[in-house]
Amino acid sequence: MINRRHFLKVLPPALALSGYPVHGFTKNAVDGRIIVIMLQGGMDGLLAVPPIGDDDLFKQRRALVAANPLKLNPLFGIHPNFKNFSRLLKNNEASIIHATSFPYTGRSHFEGQNISQIGLKKAFSVDTGWLGRAMDVAKITGKAMSLDAPLLIRGATEFDNFYPASISNTSKPKNDLLDLIKNSHDQDMMETFEKLSQSLMQGSNELRARDPLSLAAKAGEAMRQSDGPRVAVLTIPEFDDHSSIGSTTGHHPDLFTLLDGVFGQLKKSLEETWKDSIVLTTTEFGRTVQENGSEGTDHGYGSVGLLAGGLINQSSVVANWPGLSNKALFEKRDLYATIDYRSVCAACIEAAFGLDHGLIIDKVFQDKNIKRTYHHIFG
Amino acid sequence: MYENKFHWARKIGFGFRPENIIPSDINEWNKEQLISKNEEIGLNGKGEWPDDFNFSLEERLNRLHVFMTKKEKYENDKISPDEKNKLIVTARNENRVHLHDVYKYWNNSIYGHDTYHQRLIHFWANHFTVGGSNNFRNYIIGDLIYNTIGENLGGSFSNLLQKVTLHPGMLDYLDNVFSSGENSDFTKSMREEGKTAGLNDNLSRELLELHTVSTAKEYSEKDIKNVAKILAGWGLIVNLFVREFNQEKSNGNIKRNVSLKDFIENPYIKHRAEPGNKTVLGKSFSSGPSALYKLINMLAEDDQTAQHLSRKLAIHFIGENVSEEEIKKIYKIWKATNGDLAEVHRVTLEVAQRTKIKKFLWPSTWMFQCIRLSGAQFISDKNRNNGFGEIQNNGLPKYEPLGILDEIGHNFWSSRQPDGYSEKKQDWVSTEHFDRRIRIASRIYGANPLLAGEEIAEIHEFSDRTKMAISLAKTSKDKFIVALCSPELMEV
Repeated sequence: MINRRHFLKVLPPALALSGYPVHGFTKNAVDGRIIVIMLQGGMDGLLAVPPIGDDDLFKQRRALVAANPLKLNPLFGIHPNFKNFSRLLKNNEASIIHATSFPYTGRSHFEGQNISQIGLKKAFSVDTGWLGRAMDVAKITGKAMSLDAPLLIRGATEFDNFYPASISNTSKPKNDLLDLIKNSHDQDMMETFEKLSQSLMQGSNELRARDPLSLAAKAGEAMRQSDGPRVAVLTIPEFDDHSSIGSTTGHHPDLFTLLDGVFGQLKKSLEETWKDSIVLTTTEFGRTVQENGSEGTDHGYGSVGLLAGGLINQSSVVANWPGLSNKALFEKRDLYATIDYRSVCAACIEAAFGLDHGLIIDKVFQDKNIKRTYHHIFG
Repeated sequence: MYENKFHWARKIGFGFRPENIIPSDINEWNKEQLISKNEEIGLNGKGEWPDDFNFSLEERLNRLHVFMTKKEKYENDKISPDEKNKLIVTARNENRVHLHDVYKYWNNSIYGHDTYHQRLIHFWANHFTVGGSNNFRNYIIGDLIYNTIGENLGGSFSNLLQKVTLHPGMLDYLDNVFSSGENSDFTKSMREEGKTAGLNDNLSRELLELHTVSTAKEYSEKDIKNVAKILAGWGLIVNLFVREFNQEKSNGNIKRNVSLKDFIENPYIKHRAEPGNKTVLGKSFSSGPSALYKLINMLAEDDQTAQHLSRKLAIHFIGENVSEEEIKKIYKIWKATNGDLAEVHRVTLEVAQRTKIKKFLWPSTWMFQCIRLSGAQFISDKNRNNGFGEIQNNGLPKYEPLGILDEIGHNFWSSRQPDGYSEKKQDWVSTEHFDRRIRIASRIYGANPLLAGEEIAEIHEFSDRTKMAISLAKTSKDKFIVALCSPELMEV
């Protein structure tokens, strides 16, 4: 049995709510930036950040533990492919939240992805994202690095997207043509054409690459401008590894390398603004504790969140570790999520936008029971 | 009610080409649209679809097998890396088939007379998404779309569901090929050798959630597990299909007289299946392959399936804001005919004809409609008329039509999630999406359209506001682009 008091930081099961008498900004002129990396498909948190100090890990998983995880503390290690992220941890610029999830136990990708973006308990109940609503309250702008505008960022008054085209014999549309098209449309569509027009006037260079690393570089470049967006959203798909997930090497480890590269690229391209930034991952659910019959893992519950950025002062692994014994598992198969990941998102919003926790849980997550975790992550 | 025939042909199909004879009686035209077999229209609408662009499923799997075998050989040969790559690329080009399928997809949409049937194929191909994340599944996605789906839209939903579920592409995409019963001989012998084997519930979960009853049914994790047990033993990994088939045959796990063609239709391997009875949603299923057929029938006939699919069809053809009464009409015929797709599709068309609700079109639907209604052409020809595709000197299709589908974010051959492409307008509205629309419109202008922007505006009864925008554009190209990117053509 593990001693729960062993690790760096422990989130007590019942946190005292911080008072929220005054709605508004806690600090004046916080100029922070938030970058969300959506890990689509459900990241295996136990493979990314294995609890190597928990003997039950090796009883439950025969193969799916990396051979040489980097030891973080007596309980947790991190997959060796997280090279940049490990460096950030060492420099007190990163933290890990373990045994966490958005409040969803249904194991459907599509409901889970919806909840991880809207930040409410009931899937498909609104058409705006938690980040979009936070941006709306804080009156700030953002950019999605994808062809579409993800639900996560919708609801903000000002955002656009970036994903360069590659169609031969075409060029960027001219502004007079755009004006004509715009004027034939109704208000909502008009605004999107207007944003396209504005993005053309900024005259950004024709970068063609659309892989997550290039998009991360582009996001950092845009965000470090004084009038640039303060929010960016990136997506890394294909985490849904039901077969041959890989342990030390393989598909999931390759995705860790990619994710790690994105962290590295963001730090590089944000330059000075890195110190005011927080990067966080989201995923719709974790994966089963045991491997399935095809060296993969199926849809589960609790997973891990990775955070990095200059807004963090002290690296830590924040967890209220539920254990991995059969008895401790959610429905006898999944890692229990003991931290509502929305409390982590709320802390990031508080740190980057300077909004009061009470205002965030009221206006953004619409759930007054969300605990304040700010001091565990940014304190 | 859709009074304008041009609007109506776009509501349920891809519209009329300028050279088409516009039907005097739209109800007669509607009847003609309710066919349930593929029309094999030739490239650029001329003659018949070339024979050497058609491949049976058996041939596709054999071609993949040849490519895989050659590739492995070259990888082990002691030759320079450059030489290796060259040989592998040649082997791939000699055997690949998906670009032919992509050409059929464009060509049928742009020239097919069976335009409602083609739209239905797109709808069902999206409902039964099989992503093409690797080079291997691309060999058989076209077969799923045109042979399995396209040829089975006139029968029952149960029949379609069975054929799609057992298609090698679906069994591979949702990992069923890696699943074996916990108590099967296969799993036992694998574990004795220290190897991993057992159940994988990916297909099981999506069969319930996406393909049939949806989460509204409130099935349990145990139901999902038991569906996975019934599914265990079905399918072989696509890129190893022929090899594993031969191996299983020589090991005696597939009978000697079973041919590859027979096996593809019934890809069941007993020693991988889970023995014993299984209970799903309160109903018991005995062991053996018939359990899956019975399970599929049960799911296809479930009331929640009727509700789920009536709603999906209504949203796709009528619009996001379709009324509950409109959905109910489709649901009622579904129930009355036990999911007879010909009847369900007929009523969907009838409800669509009377609706006032508009649908924001998928970018691919919009693109094909624009090419079609403007009279632009698909394949470049010897008269140096430009198109989007080309038959190269070696007789093979080119990549660009596939690349364009990627660019507009709507590609049935791409890697994507099993819930398919969204039906929501908001998911297709972004600055980058609109940038693509404008670029595609400019490419269509370069593909020899027969109509000018003003003519399109006239035929399709654009608003005065849009007509004004077109008249203000300085060049005929800009007028054309404004017309194609108008609200009237994005939504119908």
